[in-house]
Amino acid sequence: MSFVDYYQILGLQKTATDKEIKNAYRKLARKYHPDLNPDDKEAQKKFQELNEANEVLSDPEKRKKYDQYGKDWQHGEEYERARQSRSRAQESSWYSGNEGGGFSDFFESMFGSSGGYGGRQARFRGQDYKSELQLNLEDAYTSHKQTLTVNGKNIRITVPAGVENGQTIKVAGHGGPGANGGPNGDLYITFVISASDRYRRSGNDIHVKEDISLYTAVLGGELVIETLSGKVKLPVKPETQNGAVVRLKGKGFPVYKRDGEFGDLYITFNILIPTNLTDKQKELFTELSKS
Amino acid sequence: MEKDQLIATDKFCIYYNVSEPFIESLISMGMIETVIVSEISYLKIPHLTQIERMIRLHDELDLTPEGIEVVHILLEKIGVLNEELMALKNRIRFYEP
Repeated sequence: MSFVDYYQILGLQKTATDKEIKNAYRKLARKYHPDLNPDDKEAQKKFQELNEANEVLSDPEKRKKYDQYGKDWQHGEEYERARQSRSRAQESSWYSGNEGGGFSDFFESMFGSSGGYGGRQARFRGQDYKSELQLNLEDAYTSHKQTLTVNGKNIRITVPAGVENGQTIKVAGHGGPGANGGPNGDLYITFVISASDRYRRSGNDIHVKEDISLYTAVLGGELVIETLSGKVKLPVKPETQNGAVVRLKGKGFPVYKRDGEFGDLYITFNILIPTNLTDKQKELFTELSKS
Repeated sequence: MEKDQLIATDKFCIYYNVSEPFIESLISMGMIETVIVSEISYLKIPHLTQIERMIRLHDELDLTPEGIEVVHILLEKIGVLNEELMALKNRIRFYEP
């Protein structure tokens, strides 16, 4: 836990007047307010710092204590008393949760526990929670159950097949508890889907590159290719060109929330030119080139 | 709409410690939808997230209802743009995995 310079957070000198503090806070709050910077964690953290600084500096009593101890706050009487009475586990993180996050450990050590930002006296609906869930492309291909830990609680959700990278779903009622008989808040889960080495996704379609030998390309044949739904036999036409694309209908990605509907799989052939040819093979190719 | 999806406007103002004239001004500007049942005005619970945001903007940034409306419109636009951005990022990932 380290010293927090509230004057620096608000961009003020120690001699700042109440009006200057208020103005500085208002100006910065307008810039970093979480509602004006949705999904910006840095802005949210900054706003919580501003709130804490304002909470201390706009309160004459708190400001006096803060000014009195300054950087030597750890030796202050108030700190010592607060430290001894603290029974909860020590963690040095600044803030937790989202918009309703509390104040820093530094603040709580010096001034005791506080509701922090967002602590309106009464409220009806519970707070909304936000969370991210990392998936790979294969995970997103099938509907499956997954357990998430949000604010210390395990929540089992169904990840629907076909979710997109960056897509957010709402799990109603899994946010913070409501007050006065109000409903719980909601849980918003954003999916972060990592790119696959083999498959490239474009909406509901999947693209894949498949190597084939020069002989198969020239003479035709059959390939067994790996798809997200298993192995598929694919005939290769004679005289297939390099970069030729074949579409396998319905072998792409499942369409989100539409059972039984799938995109297509596009296979691009990459013809491998043989290397380390024997003299005999070179001879045959030479002959071929003259024909 | 089911009654358990509604909260009386006056109760809402008490729970959220917000002045009724402020909520009324949002209603009169068409920013909040209400339902009248037996001459009592109710707010829709699914709309509370948006209403809470309006209250925060008013309380914490001193925004007037007119200012809140402007912010509300701009945030909606940002939401649409963010969706577009994500769709485009996903398309770029197709070419640059």
